[in-house]
Amino acid sequence: MANQLGKRYQCSTCEATVLITKAGDGELACHGQPMEIAQAKPLPSSD
Amino acid sequence: MNIAMLLEMAADGLGDRVAFGSRDDGLTYARVRDLATGVGAHVARSGAHTVALVHETTRLTPVALFGAAWGGAAYAPLNYRLPEAARLELLHRLRPAEVADDAWLEIAPDAGHAFPDEPDHPAVLLFTSGSTAEPKAAVLHHDQLLAYQLNTVEFASADDDEAALVAVPPFHIAGVTAILSSTYAGRRIVPLPRFTAEDWLTTARAEAVTHAFVVPTMLARIVAAMEDDPDLRVPTLRHLAYGGARMPAPILARALRLFPNAGFVNAYGLTETSSTVSVLGPDDHRAALDGDPATQRRLSSVGQPVPGIEVLVVDDQGAAVPVDTSGEVLVRGAQVSGDYVGEGSQRDGDGWLHTGDRGRIDADGYLYIEGRGDDTIIRGGENISPAEVEDALLHHPAVASAAVVGLPDEEWGERVAAMVSLRANASATSDELRTFVHDMIGSLKTPETLEIRDELPHTATGKILRRQVKSELVDRQ
Repeated sequence: MANQLGKRYQCSTCEATVLITKAGDGELACHGQPMEIAQAKPLPSSD
Repeated sequence: MNIAMLLEMAADGLGDRVAFGSRDDGLTYARVRDLATGVGAHVARSGAHTVALVHETTRLTPVALFGAAWGGAAYAPLNYRLPEAARLELLHRLRPAEVADDAWLEIAPDAGHAFPDEPDHPAVLLFTSGSTAEPKAAVLHHDQLLAYQLNTVEFASADDDEAALVAVPPFHIAGVTAILSSTYAGRRIVPLPRFTAEDWLTTARAEAVTHAFVVPTMLARIVAAMEDDPDLRVPTLRHLAYGGARMPAPILARALRLFPNAGFVNAYGLTETSSTVSVLGPDDHRAALDGDPATQRRLSSVGQPVPGIEVLVVDDQGAAVPVDTSGEVLVRGAQVSGDYVGEGSQRDGDGWLHTGDRGRIDADGYLYIEGRGDDTIIRGGENISPAEVEDALLHHPAVASAAVVGLPDEEWGERVAAMVSLRANASATSDELRTFVHDMIGSLKTPETLEIRDELPHTATGKILRRQVKSELVDRQ
């Protein structure tokens, strides 16, 4: 599964978070498990 | 990390989308990146440490900002309205510098030139307005500006139809973050080089603007223009953020009525904190409109800290104060700088930046900013907040803007004085206004001196110059 540009991937075991700044193939893994896309917490634009 | 990464991601993911200008002939993200790589290579070859921009907001603005980053130089937008001697003095202090030039809009791309990875290098230098002292240059580093972006903005989250009207000049922190945030979100920027209320309203309508940020002086003029001419409306506007100075409550109430479909956002931040550190969002604004007194009071707050930011209120000894108690506001977080060129960091040993603002935090965690610590008027031992008196004056239908200060007084220590400007075609005498304030908030807080002027002294970014108001009123005594 390709990594999506601008998405955050989280480890479900530790606090590691990865931000994808270049899309690409491959799978991100941490603690022996695939990392999962973190849900965005929308914040109102202030600028 | 480098703020150029924000543009690179936007160009990779949304390359064909218009980044800046009109939908039919604006610059796309891919085009801005092409120009930034060319400018970056040029700047790197020149050996410049800074890229100065002496210009209002045009398509050169994003090219200079990202071109500087791509070339490993700091972006230093200057107040283009400064007298030439003062401008040259600032440019001298920025040497070795390149001055951004319209020829850069034709520069050949240099796709092979990568931006440097220097997170702790200066990315942006902003000169404080320096109304009295020598202007200081606040330093914002790449990692600080990026911390704010990555904590508060979601990549490519803007819908294709979104457009942000940028009316603050490039040399204001909001003029810097407007470009960074809009780029990362994928929101088209519509520049308004010189603010007038009529231009703001007609441009917003013509460009189908959905988002805007204004300082309170701008909003005061916008609502006055809308009340005078019912044809001046922006039906597409769905998001209106304001900040940069305290928003008078009467102006906000009028704006909420005039933009019934817009979500309002109050943003509190400093140049030194890479912009916004606390936000009062649309839900809180709406709740206040038809809410109980407690939620209505919240409208005068700046909301809650943004992710990654801690806020603390302390007393004169530096100890944290209880809930709802006033003190100095401190902020801490990865986006907080507090560095000045040649002076190093103003943060304390624990990483807190002392803002110099007085405020308090309520039981629900909402932050209220009460003003600059040194603005409070002390009359015969009574503390008087200029904000309360200014709001009372602004409730009068003839008043366009008001500044309230304390003047030295032999008997009381200080006495309340005001400088006021009136709305077009409106009239009121000084005595009428004093009576109006007296009836509203009582004799103690009624200005003993009240002068009516055509315009109040203000900075280039619309902030009222209290020190100048004070000295002009003192001179008139």
